Amino acid sequence: MAKRGTSSSKGTGITWEVRANCRYFHKPQGRKSFLCFRWGRYADNLIRSYKYTALTFLPLTLYEQFQRAANFFFLLIVIMQCVSVIATLPWYITMLPLLTVLTVRGAKDLLTDLGRRRSDAKINRRPCDILTTQGFTTAQWKDVCVGDVLRIHKNEVIPADLLLLCSTEPHSLCYVETADIDGETNLKFRQALNITHAELTSGRTEELLLPFDGVVWCEEPNGQLYSFRGELHWRGQCHLLDPDHILLRGTVLRNTDTVYGLAIYTGSDSKILRNCGSLKVKKTRVERFLNKVVVTIVLSLLTVALLLAVGCGLFEHLISPNIEVLSAIRGNATAAYRGFLTFWGYIILLSPAMPISLYITFELVHVVHCLLIGWDIEMYWEENDRPAQARTTSLNEELGQVGHLLSDKTGTLTQNRLLFRQCCIAGQIYGDITTKSKLLDLSWNRFSCGGLCFSDQRLVERLRERSCSESREFFTALALCHTVMSEWKDGLPRYQAASPDEEALVCAARELGWVFLSRTRDSLTVSELGFTRHYHLLALLDFSSKRRRMSVLVRTPEGELKLYCKGADIVILERLRKDSPHQESTEQALEVFAQNCLRTLCVAVRRVSEAQWTEWSHTLSEAATATVHRETMLEELHEHMEKELMMLGVTAIEDRLQEGVPETISSLRRAGVKVWVLTGDKTETAVNVGYACKLMDPDTRLLQGEELRQLLQSPTADVYFHKDKESLIWNTDKSGKAAIVVGGFELAELIKTPEMGARFVSLSNQCQSVLCCRVTPGQKAEVVELVKKYSSSITMAIGDGANDVNMIKTAHIGVGLCGVEGGQAVQNADFALAQFSFLRRLLLVHGRWSYRRICSFLRYFLYKTSCFALVHIWFSLYNGFSAQPMYESWFIALYTTTYTSLPVQCLGFFEQDMSAESSLRWPEAYSAGQRNEFLNPLILLSTLLYSIYTSIILFFLPVGVLQYTDVDYQTLAVTVEMSAIFSVTIEMILETKFWTKYNFATVLLSQVLFFLSTLILHSPRLFTAFPHDYVFFGASLNAFANPVVWLVVFLTTCTAVLPSITVRALNVVLTNANKHKIHSSEEPVMLQSWFRRGVPQRRSSYAMSQGKGFGKLMTLGTGPLSTVPPLDGKLAKDTVRADSPQIAQAEAANGVKSNENKSGNVQHGITLNRTE
Amino acid sequence: MKSEGEFVNQPDNTAFTQQRLPAWQPMLSAGIVIPLFTLIGLAFIGIGVALFITSQNIKVQELDYTGTATSSPCFQCSGLSIQNCTCERNFSLSELFEGPVFFYYGLSNYYQNYRQYGVSKDDYQLSGDTTYFLKPQSYCSPYQYSNNKPIVPCGSIANSMFNDTFRLYLLVNGSRKQVPFDGKGIAWWTDYNIKYRNPSPVNGSFAAAFDGTTKPVNWQKSAYELDPTDQANNGFLNQDFLVWMRRAALPNFRKLYGRITGGDYSQGLPAGNYTLQISYNYPVLSFGGTKKVVFSNVSWMGGKNQFLGIAYLVIGSLCVVMAIVMLIVYAKYKFPDNDDA
Repeated sequence: MAKRGTSSSKGTGITWEVRANCRYFHKPQGRKSFLCFRWGRYADNLIRSYKYTALTFLPLTLYEQFQRAANFFFLLIVIMQCVSVIATLPWYITMLPLLTVLTVRGAKDLLTDLGRRRSDAKINRRPCDILTTQGFTTAQWKDVCVGDVLRIHKNEVIPADLLLLCSTEPHSLCYVETADIDGETNLKFRQALNITHAELTSGRTEELLLPFDGVVWCEEPNGQLYSFRGELHWRGQCHLLDPDHILLRGTVLRNTDTVYGLAIYTGSDSKILRNCGSLKVKKTRVERFLNKVVVTIVLSLLTVALLLAVGCGLFEHLISPNIEVLSAIRGNATAAYRGFLTFWGYIILLSPAMPISLYITFELVHVVHCLLIGWDIEMYWEENDRPAQARTTSLNEELGQVGHLLSDKTGTLTQNRLLFRQCCIAGQIYGDITTKSKLLDLSWNRFSCGGLCFSDQRLVERLRERSCSESREFFTALALCHTVMSEWKDGLPRYQAASPDEEALVCAARELGWVFLSRTRDSLTVSELGFTRHYHLLALLDFSSKRRRMSVLVRTPEGELKLYCKGADIVILERLRKDSPHQESTEQALEVFAQNCLRTLCVAVRRVSEAQWTEWSHTLSEAATATVHRETMLEELHEHMEKELMMLGVTAIEDRLQEGVPETISSLRRAGVKVWVLTGDKTETAVNVGYACKLMDPDTRLLQGEELRQLLQSPTADVYFHKDKESLIWNTDKSGKAAIVVGGFELAELIKTPEMGARFVSLSNQCQSVLCCRVTPGQKAEVVELVKKYSSSITMAIGDGANDVNMIKTAHIGVGLCGVEGGQAVQNADFALAQFSFLRRLLLVHGRWSYRRICSFLRYFLYKTSCFALVHIWFSLYNGFSAQPMYESWFIALYTTTYTSLPVQCLGFFEQDMSAESSLRWPEAYSAGQRNEFLNPLILLSTLLYSIYTSIILFFLPVGVLQYTDVDYQTLAVTVEMSAIFSVTIEMILETKFWTKYNFATVLLSQVLFFLSTLILHSPRLFTAFPHDYVFFGASLNAFANPVVWLVVFLTTCTAVLPSITVRALNVVLTNANKHKIHSSEEPVMLQSWFRRGVPQRRSSYAMSQGKGFGKLMTLGTGPLSTVPPLDGKLAKDTVRADSPQIAQAEAANGVKSNENKSGNVQHGITLNRTE
Repeated sequence: MKSEGEFVNQPDNTAFTQQRLPAWQPMLSAGIVIPLFTLIGLAFIGIGVALFITSQNIKVQELDYTGTATSSPCFQCSGLSIQNCTCERNFSLSELFEGPVFFYYGLSNYYQNYRQYGVSKDDYQLSGDTTYFLKPQSYCSPYQYSNNKPIVPCGSIANSMFNDTFRLYLLVNGSRKQVPFDGKGIAWWTDYNIKYRNPSPVNGSFAAAFDGTTKPVNWQKSAYELDPTDQANNGFLNQDFLVWMRRAALPNFRKLYGRITGGDYSQGLPAGNYTLQISYNYPVLSFGGTKKVVFSNVSWMGGKNQFLGIAYLVIGSLCVVMAIVMLIVYAKYKFPDNDDA
């Protein structure tokens, strides 16, 4: 049978075979790897994010490090220095720094990798129950093999992609939370196949599972989270499988006692890991630029060395044969050969221009910046005791250049807590969002669980006095019109809702006295201010994103028929009766709520006469059985029922933003950062949050759907820009504010061609923001990729869940929030923050500083090394191109490492051009980093020209002066050395704007070090011990005693830095003149325009954040959570059992049976069709 | 509410970790910059003037004796084959040449700073280590061995030692009166006292220490008999040898030969006619080099050096010019703005 299935399904790509309880089949096919070779079919369930093993560490780390152009270059230099004929410098001059660099870097990589191993091991060691011949035994995640049957308990994380076989709940339903997959926190249900449910729960499940020998044929592992194709072949029958039967790795089992599942994809085959993308090493723009610079420097070194070699050849050919002394040294070598040797000699000699210590110092500066981020107390969150954390230590400067921020919504911008804040009943607004008043005293309500952020005593009084019938109806509607299920825990009802909005509303009703107690298939039990009432549920017209409303038709205990309806304001308002009261005041309330960015729902009621109901239900049953146009018929029927409504009121729910989100986003927008929101959530939710968190102004126009498509598809760019403007003119505000709202699939379609992608990005750059809704983790990454590809800006992705991992990895910088949703995002992020609002400080303060510090640092570093090394070129003109070093070899070794490195490190650590407060107050200053104003080719070119100038001065001024004296080579060398040290130190002093004690100390220390070590290296003791290595003995003493040397050094130093001083002075003079202007006129205007509040163009049009509800399950009666309705009118405390799952199950089972008996049930038809 | 212990990860609130270190932030303004430039410029001009005047007071007398021109007295000596040639150059001083007078010899187009030339010596040998007498280091090549005998002192530098000698005569009433050169103490103190050491005498004989070695190829005398007049001025401690071994920085250089300080000449060289007798040994014509001698007196800043003073003056003037430019720029930008306000 299974064989037949195989042959039939092979053609459709269903080739992945999983045999249940059959380890001996899967184990031999396990995937193994050695070095880079892989074979085998089934991955094990081990997570391996580490890179090195004991064996591969050394070769891999060396391979990685020598991929860096600079390291490789220096390796060559070291090799060359070992060849005596070209060794212009002793071998240790380059060898020691290179070894240090390699060791430090290797140690750092090793530590990071060990950290990864530890976190992997933590995941791999999580416990889970695997079925073996001895029954279920506890094992670890890593032991899970394809084909294993697993038992998962409530609130456990699913360890692999499982086929749901059965659960302890009726119909083998189970609920999972997919927050780690798609960021949605509402529960989703999964249901086992009928056949497995029926067969495996017919007796003791665990015994029945042992002989289970089904074979699953399905797709090869892929990363598509929402699709799955497969077949289960069992007992000679073939059953089709769809995504609803699959429990994905990383989801959490909720509200379900136990489920049993068959592992289909494990480890790296699982869908979430397939979605994670691979580990990418991120390089910053500055670093890439630096690498280019290094290559450029190396190329120019080669060119210069070549020219000097040619010079050498000519010298050897024309001049030196005549000089007996030199030709004797040369021996038989030809001029060309001498030139060839000199070429290499000069490469060695000029190599300090490309500083080896640059990389190591660069890394050190990065590490310190990362530490400073972690130390920042203003980025420390007390509630979970989390400081900010920089996990990647090489991206700091990019924090100062971020152009696009791509943010997740749920858990990142919002707290994912919905709070009932205000309501409008009969035209009167209750509750106040602006002031923080004390909480209501709800002690009279014994069902109160707290958690109500509502404080209007008037409403409570009115409700308890029963003076206002509308308010009572309003709360009755809230308590009845929903698809929430209740669960009893500690004597209090706990609600499980498909959407957090509903939960918030039902909870609010509960707190205020209208307690939804339980539901069965056709009844709802509500305690109204302590009196329990049973409502007979006649029909449930479920929510859909098209209808944007839901209704329940109930028969009250008094026998009246009432339709309670809640939905989006536009939808409800157009269905009101003409004489419905409070319309105007309600609309005003809606506007007030909209301005406060609250999510609103209108609640209305309609009395339905017995006759209407009979007629309607009759038509409905006809429609339900109709074969053609059933959908439209049903829709019409619904329309027919949901009309002539009476407005009861409006609820206003706050989608709690994380602390400081609007301020942060508005700051970032002022800083020129484009903020995009990528969410798996619905469009409405995203748009509302967009307004709430100041992503868009109240008068921002939304570009979406067809309009967006037209804009993008208009034939030429001109037209499209023109049209864009035109369309924006319709807006009352002329500033042209617009935001793009686009769905995931729509987006994927829009940006299919590269050209369209480019257009999309360029259009988005004119908009305030882009909201991408309903995007999968993979699409999130694609959007990031899109931005990376078509704009030159640095992208930063921020998120908190596993669904953001892909995007976090793809973006230039990934930030993980250590929120509630597991640690996946943080694990993969480059920076971990506790709060979204810390982003402001991270970017505007740390990022900005880092960028400026690192740019200053790099510029200065290149300056100091090249000006010092280029002197050799000029000297070669005077020494017959013989590659004679200008300096003592010790000086060359110590110059970059000892004499000049400390001050520049201090510059890299401490420099602040603006205080943290000013950086936050004027975010506009951030945009200099986005434009890369401090390290671009032009800046670098000027730096190089300046260093060439300096090198010319450093050489020719001393030579010019000393040529009239009996100067010897060593004195000249000491003079040039001193001039070089002083010049670069003065340049450093000019560069430093923020003089801490460390800056003072290091500047002084490096001068002291220079003189001290010069004296030591030129001391008699060292010379007598090693005459050949310390040949400069005595040179410095003589030079320091010579006044002409000092005069020359002073002159040279001043002349060398004169251009720098002049430019800075001119800058001071010019900006001083302009500063006045900026302060007097521009700023107030800018601030004014910023704080001016636009006229809100937006009507509250916001409904629920809900997809298809549980309506189908409810009315099917298969919902596992319905509880026993209390029997008598007055609820006695002891009638409510603390926890009654058994009874609940029994009840539910009864419901099922009764439901099955009533075949052709009308409601069945309604809900089924509606939810499809 | 919560005890302190719960915040284990709380960062320290110190000035260092919070980047609030007290710091001096120099705020430059035009009011500081322009006067500063003026001051620096004036200071430079001041130094420049002082240096220039000092330098003007220094007298220098240069005499080229290469003998390229047929009319020049040393022409007959400049041929390669001529040995032990002596020539004379006459010059006259119209006024007193104040002492102390330094006497230099100068060479041009001579690459003492050539890299392979510079390393061609054995520092161990020169510090008196006799083990290296018999086995000179390979740096000395091609002047390591001669006729299978190790060369002491080995290497190119020593081999190419300058060997012209000079005598200066003052013509007094038709007769020549020798002006003595003081050749003592012309080398660096460190070179003479520490860096270079003679081998200890063997059996009381200084020459015996050099047994088994040979003199450099171009030398006429062995190292231990460089100065027959003064036993102490021999070997590696010969002053002229030390001066030569200290390599010149540039291809055109001068080296100190001696000072004129003694006896009647402590005040300097009196006005009169002088004859410089040169024993012409060192060949330079082959590579287009020149030889010269220089008489110069010195001030606190050494010999005549106009370049230094001029350079200071130029830089100083530049600063002043910049200050003026900045003032103009500042005035142009600032004052209209004030009018608006």
